[in-house]
Amino acid sequence: MAGTVIGEGLTIEGDITGDEEIVIHGNLRGRLTTTDAVTVGGTAVVGADITGASLSVAGQVTGDVTATERVDIQPGGKLVGDIKAARFTIADGASFKGNVDMEV
Amino acid sequence: MGESSVIGAGTVVSGHIHGQGSLEILGRVEGDVSVTGNVVIGPAGRVRGNVSGAQLTISGQVQGDLRGTLAVLLEPGARVQGDISGPRVGIAPGAFARGHVTTDGDATAAPARPAAPVARATPPVAPARVAPAAVPAPRVPPPAAPVARFAPPAAPVVRAAPPATPIARVAPPVAPIARQSPPPARVEPRPAPAPAIKAPQPAPAQRAAPAARPAPTPATVPPPRQPEPQRLDPAQRASAPAPEKTFEPLRPIKHEPRRPPPPVVPVISKGTKAKKKKSHD
Repeated sequence: MAGTVIGEGLTIEGDITGDEEIVIHGNLRGRLTTTDAVTVGGTAVVGADITGASLSVAGQVTGDVTATERVDIQPGGKLVGDIKAARFTIADGASFKGNVDMEV
Repeated sequence: MGESSVIGAGTVVSGHIHGQGSLEILGRVEGDVSVTGNVVIGPAGRVRGNVSGAQLTISGQVQGDLRGTLAVLLEPGARVQGDISGPRVGIAPGAFARGHVTTDGDATAAPARPAAPVARATPPVAPARVAPAAVPAPRVPPPAAPVARFAPPAAPVVRAAPPATPIARVAPPVAPIARQSPPPARVEPRPAPAPAIKAPQPAPAQRAAPAARPAPTPATVPPPRQPEPQRLDPAQRASAPAPEKTFEPLRPIKHEPRRPPPPVVPVISKGTKAKKKKSHD
């Protein structure tokens, strides 16, 4: 199970830092930093810069993303911000606006 | 919606957390937590901020106020520095708490406060007497019986002390003294220390001079008067040891009412009559 879960209906205003997987179904405003995977669920609304090993977006994310491994935008997912990741995929039906840097 | 959330052991949240659903904190949170559901703070969980929720179960550390709309439970190992409030508050053995605890019913809070002052009043009195009457200590127990009859807790203590001292030195004076001390005690329920002090005074006065006795009788007549004791005191003081002086301030308070009479006569200052005559002329 994920180390940290932000349930739907829960709002965090502030920074989250950690070294474990983080799953967000609720709202986050601030900054998110972890050394593990980050999953943004379909109901999530995130306004934060995200740093992690990997990022999967099914909800809405506004902010810059830095991933050491990969970033995936799932169908229905929406991401606005610059992305820095070695691998980056945008599924059919996802929306994205921003710059991509895959040099890492 | 009512989904449960978890702050993992390796996660630090610096900011506010609020919303619906329950929350389990196994990591660290630096900020206020306010949710509609239950909050569980695990043994390794640490929160610096106020926490509110339906039922709070704390096994970790919290620096901040805890407010549970249903209950607040501190499990063994919990460390809480802050106020705790809720309709039900449980602190298990092994839990550490520092702060104000309020269980929602106001009725419970009110009785707690009155009880505290009473407790304080009695303890100071007892020690004061014990010191002066250290020698006659064994006699103290017998006086305790009369005390019990007198109902008020403060009063009994006073009486017990005087009898003990007098017995050791002079038997007859004991009776009058006892009468004196009790009335003051009743009159002034608030200052427990005052009665204690009075008790020691009479004893020394008796030894030094009989003059001390007259003073006590007036005292009995007007229980609450300050001035009287002051006048009498000087005579007593001459013979009395240093400790008496320290006690004096207490007497004045009781005899206050008497003061008025004396001032009435001598109000007119020297020369005023002469001035009047001159003006008439």
